[in-house]
Amino acid sequence: MKRSYLVRALTRTRNRTSLLTRSLCSSASQPSGADVALKNVTKSNFEPALAELRHHVREADFVAVDLEMTGVTSAPWRESFEFDRSDIQYLKIKDSAEKFAVVQFGVCPFRWDPHSRSFVAHPHNFYIFPRQEIVGDGLSYEFLCQTSSLEFLAKYQFDFNACVYEGISYLSRSQEEEALRRLDSLYKDDSSNASSNFRNGVETQLISMADILFAERMKNMVSEWRAGLLREGGGGHEIQGNLNGMSQKFQTTFFHMHPALVVNGLTSRQLRLIKLITEKHFQDLAYVYVTGETSSRQPLIVYTDSTTDRESLMREVKACQRKEAETKIKAAIGFRQVIDLLSSERKLIVGHNCFLDLAHVYNKFIAPLPSTAEEFVSAFQTYFPHVIDTKVLLNLDDALLRIVGKGGTSLSKAFGLLCRPIAPSSSSTVLAGKPRVIVEVEVDDQRFPNWNSGAKHEAGYDAFMTGCVFSQACLHLGIDFSSHAAAVDLVHNEKLQKYINHLYLSWVNGDIIDLKTGKGAAESLGSTSVKRHHPKIVFSNMILLWGLPSKLRGKDIKDCFCQVFGRGSITSIYHLDETAALVQFSKAELVSDFLILKDTLGRDNDPISVLHPLSRIFESGCVRAASYETYKEICSSPVSELLFTDQAKAVGINWNTRLVEQAIGSENQDDETCEKERKINAIPICQDQGKTSPGTSVSDTQSSCHFPTDELVDSFYPSEAQMSK
Amino acid sequence: MPFRRSLCTQAAARHRRRIQWPVKQVTKSNFSEALAEIKACILNSDYVAVSFKQTGGHSAPWHKILPIDTAETAYFKAKHAAERFQILQFAVCPFSVKASKLIAHPYNFHLFPRDELKVGMPSYSFSCQSSYLTAMAQEGFDFNACIYNGISYLSKAQESATNVQIGHLSPSSCTVHSSSVHSVADSLFTERIRSRVKNWIRACKDSNKTEDALISSLRKLISGSEVYGSRPSLNIDVCSECQIKLALETLKEFVDVVPLQLPKRGAGVQAVRAVLTSSQEDKNLLEKELQHMEQEQRERVLGFREVIDLISTSQRPVVVHNSLNDFAFIHSKFLAPLPLTMDEFRSSLHLIFPHILDVNHLMKEIGPFEKMNNMPAAISYLERRFSGSIDMDISSQDTDKVNIHGHNVLRVCHLFVKLCSILKISPEVPEDGQSHLSPSLPRHSNIFNPCSSNSTNPIEDDVRIWTGNSRTISINNLVFLWGFESGISARSLKDLLCDTHDVFSEEFDVRMLDRTCAVVVFWTPGFAECFLRIIDSGEIISTKLTGLISGGLKAAGYETYKRVCESGLRKSDLADCLDQAMDETEILSGTVKSQQEQPVIYWNNDEMINLNDL
Repeated sequence: MKRSYLVRALTRTRNRTSLLTRSLCSSASQPSGADVALKNVTKSNFEPALAELRHHVREADFVAVDLEMTGVTSAPWRESFEFDRSDIQYLKIKDSAEKFAVVQFGVCPFRWDPHSRSFVAHPHNFYIFPRQEIVGDGLSYEFLCQTSSLEFLAKYQFDFNACVYEGISYLSRSQEEEALRRLDSLYKDDSSNASSNFRNGVETQLISMADILFAERMKNMVSEWRAGLLREGGGGHEIQGNLNGMSQKFQTTFFHMHPALVVNGLTSRQLRLIKLITEKHFQDLAYVYVTGETSSRQPLIVYTDSTTDRESLMREVKACQRKEAETKIKAAIGFRQVIDLLSSERKLIVGHNCFLDLAHVYNKFIAPLPSTAEEFVSAFQTYFPHVIDTKVLLNLDDALLRIVGKGGTSLSKAFGLLCRPIAPSSSSTVLAGKPRVIVEVEVDDQRFPNWNSGAKHEAGYDAFMTGCVFSQACLHLGIDFSSHAAAVDLVHNEKLQKYINHLYLSWVNGDIIDLKTGKGAAESLGSTSVKRHHPKIVFSNMILLWGLPSKLRGKDIKDCFCQVFGRGSITSIYHLDETAALVQFSKAELVSDFLILKDTLGRDNDPISVLHPLSRIFESGCVRAASYETYKEICSSPVSELLFTDQAKAVGINWNTRLVEQAIGSENQDDETCEKERKINAIPICQDQGKTSPGTSVSDTQSSCHFPTDELVDSFYPSEAQMSK
Repeated sequence: MPFRRSLCTQAAARHRRRIQWPVKQVTKSNFSEALAEIKACILNSDYVAVSFKQTGGHSAPWHKILPIDTAETAYFKAKHAAERFQILQFAVCPFSVKASKLIAHPYNFHLFPRDELKVGMPSYSFSCQSSYLTAMAQEGFDFNACIYNGISYLSKAQESATNVQIGHLSPSSCTVHSSSVHSVADSLFTERIRSRVKNWIRACKDSNKTEDALISSLRKLISGSEVYGSRPSLNIDVCSECQIKLALETLKEFVDVVPLQLPKRGAGVQAVRAVLTSSQEDKNLLEKELQHMEQEQRERVLGFREVIDLISTSQRPVVVHNSLNDFAFIHSKFLAPLPLTMDEFRSSLHLIFPHILDVNHLMKEIGPFEKMNNMPAAISYLERRFSGSIDMDISSQDTDKVNIHGHNVLRVCHLFVKLCSILKISPEVPEDGQSHLSPSLPRHSNIFNPCSSNSTNPIEDDVRIWTGNSRTISINNLVFLWGFESGISARSLKDLLCDTHDVFSEEFDVRMLDRTCAVVVFWTPGFAECFLRIIDSGEIISTKLTGLISGGLKAAGYETYKRVCESGLRKSDLADCLDQAMDETEILSGTVKSQQEQPVIYWNNDEMINLNDL
């Protein structure tokens, strides 16, 4: 009876547990070794830590990574569901990576030490924060926080102050390029018409009496100073007399061998006025804004001998400013240097269920995410050619799965099962007597066997656990580290080949993506553990319903549908949230039949429509229906409203029923082409008609079209013949 | 708890040199005690000042409220911000002015929208701007304290939504007005309940008599009797709102029965429970118990909203610094989702807060003043210009602590009193206790000032067009232009336009709204319309303009801009938004022709909307 509800509830809990289990275990595990703080890296110790990390990564056999984010889903319906097609799964991951911030980044290089016959791990825990270090084009950095995720982090004593106060900032590659380009255009413009721009570029007006008085006073003061300079031949003249009060604000100095007046302690408005009068009344004075020795920027009025001298001075100042801005951009790269390091060393990257992590890495440190998974993985592979996911490894290798069990593939459980020293009591487990890889931890040149960071749940520790799980898993796969004199070439090890670059696109429905091709890879792996849906999900048989009354249950919907389309016509019903559901028909034809019927019912108000079994669902008048493609369109929008119905409205979908192509009568020949494209795009089953119509290729931007309902009803009016079908 | 506080204590120390005012800091742990305190303070004070710290303001330059915004578009922008960002710290300061002395009781509440009820409320997620967080960090804000120990809340609307979910415990809230129309099914349902309850009551009462214990318990079993506390109870399953009503209605017929609604996991009511009481006293006792339980639950659930309710019920005038922004946030977080129009917003707010005083507005009474939004600057400016300082008497218990937060609310109080003294308004409330407002203040209350640009632009790239003092221009004379070379300056754009057409022969101004879009002000009436017509029709007269248009130049009137603001500022570039809105217009044109009266906007930032004009 409550099957559809159950489905939803199950996916929910599964999502939550996958989030929770990661940390629950760490609190369960007893601190067995030395309780050492792991290497925390913030702004203050970033440079030395990076130098050290460079060395460790270069020597490493593999590098484990883990991220902590400010959230996972921007709306409940953005959670991963089993009825999400792989392109929708990617869109949901993309949305998550674009909206949320990474607050902690764990990097843990592992190196095989042949002498001690053990791995040496160097766990690093970077606090990062998207602080805006360079002034862009007015857009400010913004990120979303999921309240429950922050609570989760707080539960494990995440230090938010360390993150905001001391977090390392970063610039992605594309942000850096953009900033340099902006700088380029800024200074190119200025050099071409420097003087003219300078003369009339700024327009400050003297509005109030105070301004005028102040400007007059400044003018007198500056001219007096200039006169003094000329009189004394450029000596260290100080302003005297009636300007005594101001003299601490104005001091004569030298700038690039020119006498100059330092202007201190004035408001920006006053400075603007000074700039104005300097430029207006003194041909041989230049107002510049330079970085002084103390590195704080200060305004100067500089005396120049001639126009050419003045121009050359301005050029010099510009060049300086440009250099300074470039340095600033370079400095703003910050944490991305770690990513660049990992990328340039081309080491094997190990993560645990890490597709979302990789999407974050790409979005934050490389470039905005492409719109399809294929484009993303091919771009990603150029930076990180070898990635291995321990979750995939544990689930797809039958031997490993036997050890950890179905429920033990979460990181901390797997770590507990595979890597914890065997307690005497647990000698009965499968692992008893099996050899294990010894992992030693090195923090700040100190080595600890059996290291445990305590109960802290942090990216650095998670990365360490991931690496440990991976090294034990390698051993179980039969990779013998100790027999080799040097390190094992893991990247080309044949026993790992079938797992390398295979990641879970979505853990909920077990879809695996191959990073080399961007295609699903479950079949090629030939594993038995891939989840199978019962009943099988057929996307083309699905319709999307939204605007549903919140009390309507899956069973009610099913009953209504079965009354109309016959028993067995509905395979399953999946709830997206309380306002929306996907209904899977047993046959693809029923999709178009339903949409036509829905449209007719919505239009007519005669007794037959009112008494129609489906009117129980549609009685509110705000229920909308469309094919599965609309679900994708709605997911691809950057907007995230809390309820799916509001989301659909925000995306701009406000027609009543999106019909299939056949339903369009001949009377709508002169409709907007845009409208046509939308319909065609939305209906995959009408490919032949779609091809004849112009511009069927992209529909992303068309989500913006609004249609008044009346107009739509006219245009969609189906002919009688089609109705009787 | 072993919090790692080393960083934040450092941060606090860094700011120790500032003037320290004792502001009571309130978190989850001392909330209930502070609630009682502040309640007394509010009732003993004449005004309440509020001020808060939010996680963001505007994400693109044109998202902030500009002088060209009308009341409506300003509201849309404020709404957009209020819906996305979060309040992390809320300072409340009840104060009075007695003998030109300011007596203030500042409290600073740390808020976090923690989901205490596990129902996804008050907020599933919120946006943060890193610049705002960094600025808060510079003031020494303790994010750990906020997230770990912040007080949660529920808005009025959320509360009524959850009430169904938690279930109304107290029977007093189960007021059911009998519905006249009953279907056959309904009558059957009621009849069944009636007979079942009758049998059950009989079974319960009979059990006192000398009946076989076995039979009595069997009877109870059959009738489905359970025990609620020490009293017998009976559960009646319901599956719709209507059935709940019917069940409650039917149960009213039984004098000894107290009905309860049992919440379902998630939402709704699963069953109605009838509890049998032994006498009238017993019934009263049970009802009191239930009321008490509900009150406790209320406090736990409502959290900080209780403070807002206190301010509202006290009817004290609320003093804020930027009323439109502040009350958009307050409305959206603590009252209900923001309505679609400014008018609805005003009337909805007026019911809750009848008197709102905006210091920004009072400041404008004195004269044009550049940095209105920077309060310390405003205070020092006023102190310099107008003699006579204000005595501040701050009462707080824990003065030994270093309190770095919530000082702004004291600045608001201070500024308010100062402004009152300059404007010769007596802020002292007469002792008669009738009026909550000093007689001269109503004139200044409930005015929303939409224009508050808090830009502190550096001196270089600041080309503004501020013409005259309060020169006003109808929005009909504004044209939005985009599709030109990105990053062009207003001056260059003006030069570019200058001799392209006759409409540019008279006085006009150009102002950049962001790097993609500019607004052109035609000071000659009718020229804007004319220009739009030319762009639309494509009958180009000059080649220069043709060049611009073929280069992608587009233009739209104020209506389009208004629609962009209304639709929720989805994109960061205004040009993209206007493009999108234009596409929509093309589709809509012919069906919708909006013929509304055009409000006048003020080219200077002096527009006010007076709530009392409603």
